Amino acid sequence: MIHVNELSLWFEGHEQPIISKLSFYLNAGETMLLLGPSGSGKSTLTCCLNGIYPRELDGIMEGKVHVFDKNVQATKPGEISKHVGVVFQDPESQFCMLTVEDEIAFGLENINTPREKIAAKIDEALHLVHLKEYREATIQSLSGGQKQKLALSCVLALEPDFVILDEPTANLDPFAKQEFIQAMKNIQQEKKIGLIVIEHQLEDWVSFIQRACILSGQGQCIFDGSLTEAITKNAPLLQSLGIALPPITELVLNASANKQASFTSIPLTYSNFSTHVSYLDQECLDQPTARNQNTNTVLEAHHLNLAKNKRQILQQITCTLQQPSFIAITGANGSGKTSLTRLLAGIEPPSTGYIYVNHRLLKHWKPKELRQQIGYVFQNPEHQFITDSVFEEIAYTLRLRAYSEATIKEKVFHTLESCQLQGMEHRHPYTLSQGQKRRLSVATMIVDEQSILFLDEPTFGQDAASNRELMRLLKEQYKNGTTIIMVTHDMDIVDQYADRVIVLANGQIVIDETPDRLWERPCLNKWHLNYPTRIKLKRHMEGPHDYIAK
Amino acid sequence: MTTLLNNINPSIKAITVVISVCLLTFVFDPFTPLVYCILTILLTFLFGKVAWKIYLVYFLVICLLSIGMLWTAVAFADEPNNPQLTMQFLFWELPKENVTVALSLTFRMLAFAALSFMFIFTTNMVHFILSLMQQCKLPPKLAYGILAGYRFLPLMRDELQQIRAAHQVRGVNRASSLKETIQQYKRYAIPLLAGAIRKAERTAIAMESKGFSGERIVPFIGSIGLLLSIGFF
Repeated sequence: MIHVNELSLWFEGHEQPIISKLSFYLNAGETMLLLGPSGSGKSTLTCCLNGIYPRELDGIMEGKVHVFDKNVQATKPGEISKHVGVVFQDPESQFCMLTVEDEIAFGLENINTPREKIAAKIDEALHLVHLKEYREATIQSLSGGQKQKLALSCVLALEPDFVILDEPTANLDPFAKQEFIQAMKNIQQEKKIGLIVIEHQLEDWVSFIQRACILSGQGQCIFDGSLTEAITKNAPLLQSLGIALPPITELVLNASANKQASFTSIPLTYSNFSTHVSYLDQECLDQPTARNQNTNTVLEAHHLNLAKNKRQILQQITCTLQQPSFIAITGANGSGKTSLTRLLAGIEPPSTGYIYVNHRLLKHWKPKELRQQIGYVFQNPEHQFITDSVFEEIAYTLRLRAYSEATIKEKVFHTLESCQLQGMEHRHPYTLSQGQKRRLSVATMIVDEQSILFLDEPTFGQDAASNRELMRLLKEQYKNGTTIIMVTHDMDIVDQYADRVIVLANGQIVIDETPDRLWERPCLNKWHLNYPTRIKLKRHMEGPHDYIAK
Repeated sequence: MTTLLNNINPSIKAITVVISVCLLTFVFDPFTPLVYCILTILLTFLFGKVAWKIYLVYFLVICLLSIGMLWTAVAFADEPNNPQLTMQFLFWELPKENVTVALSLTFRMLAFAALSFMFIFTTNMVHFILSLMQQCKLPPKLAYGILAGYRFLPLMRDELQQIRAAHQVRGVNRASSLKETIQQYKRYAIPLLAGAIRKAERTAIAMESKGFSGERIVPFIGSIGLLLSIGFF
């Protein structure tokens, strides 16, 4: 069991504790969701549980953490890893070897497994996550989903009593995500491992994890008990904290606020829904947004091909983008989504093919003029920061245009306001929260009134509140006539905001139509997609339920 | 083709190469290095599994370099002690002494290259580091650190490209002067370092979560026939 008693933790140079008087008790084999907004100390807690803190901590830790009666603070390095294993969020930075086999062997060697047993254990661990045929593959050649499964199997090979998953599916496409969660569910039920899951997207986890420990922004535990109870009692509080509820729960809550639904108990899953919800107005399941009329072509691409290192990344891409429109680009991990947006935005040239921006060949645009037309928000906002303050960051583009200081000031403050960044103009961009950084990078790309805006997975790794802010901002831009092209894995966002969806598979456009038409198609699984909550629920209410990918 | 060379313990192989290189530096006639060079290449191809296309390309580059070296060594040689003693070399009449020195230098370089290539092309990086740790007492902290760092190199390259593109989108001009280039790299350095530090920290935490404590351990894949390799060499 894990016993955390009055745990508080301060980082060096911070007045406020990141975790404050946290206590909980987790039995062997028990499962728990650890929820909280970004910056509430969830990942810090992970380090406390597996013995890395206080040894590697620059700061102060108070209180006690016991794992099976061992005081974590008093154990030697590496000892707790036999009891508590962790899978982290970033698939790239949790491996230190080059091949799958070596990576699993690394952990086994560390706990002094006898050499003759290692091979068998590697096989067993790979078998659990269905990666047996990749035993000798290099880690680099695996997809994101496979890497996360490998990370899980490395941890399982050590046969820990508890596994902590720190946003393990944040980087994965809907299909890979479902597969990972399903694998975890089966393993948990077979091996009876204790599980702590840190996640922003709860949808598939709630089918087998009931308990939730909820942290506030100040690192205090504000609730510990069943998630259903937490939502029934504190739904508005949770939403205002930025904790995402399962989408179906959110939908029913919103409907009931408008008196369009009634239920005996709040549903978390689709099977819950049938038993708990007595009435839901069909209106809630209808298409939520009105679409803009778009006629004006701003960007055309003809027969684009892209090859790198003899590998064909994009093939025969032809498409036309109108203004204004809200276009979602989606598809499996590695299907070429990011590459396509980079070509269209003129960041990288295609191997062959032509791109026209406002009927003029992309090559003929001067870089400076092109940037006035097209903005691009990278996946990592920090890559785009070039100055030392938020104000200067936004003003940078304007200064290149040689506006007067008064105009610059006015425009910057206007942009700060529309991006909800007021009062932060003197902060260093790197000290902002993840959500604020993202909004700042959007701010730098809209301040010049660019008419086309590309975004590469802008909702990734943020809490619900930050995402709401961001999507509100993008919607506003779209209303004002900007063409938005967004790479995303989130089908609910596609459904709610996009007026057109492009699906890529193996570097080719396989679908290019409105989201409504896409949802009418059977088995989106083959493109690693899923249906949005609205559609799943609609079909669930209509009858046979086998469309929900098992 | 066998894979004997690939299977020899990498530390032993490295030591053998270093010793051979040291010995070769004491030889001043052109024939020993030539023979050595040919033997090494034969050895590499007979007993090693080598990506021969890449090997040839690399060797060709070295050959070109060595021709350059031959020319410079002949053209800029010291005054010979016996100017009377000449020989016909290609189309020129040159002092024999100079030609001998130049040839021995060139072949020595080729022999060095052949030896290094034999090592590089038949050695798995991971095995080498692990064997250094096993046989040469390299501290595991350092060894696994190097391995993790080795994984980072391509990631860092990708990240630099990302940052460069991201800055261009912001409207940062392509640097035209040296001063601007330096300034630009300074600007790239901050996000690159910030990213690298964060990644390194995450990897370190992940490694420790897998039970790594920096203590000496016996690697499972390092069990390579030590006696056999010593005997062979």
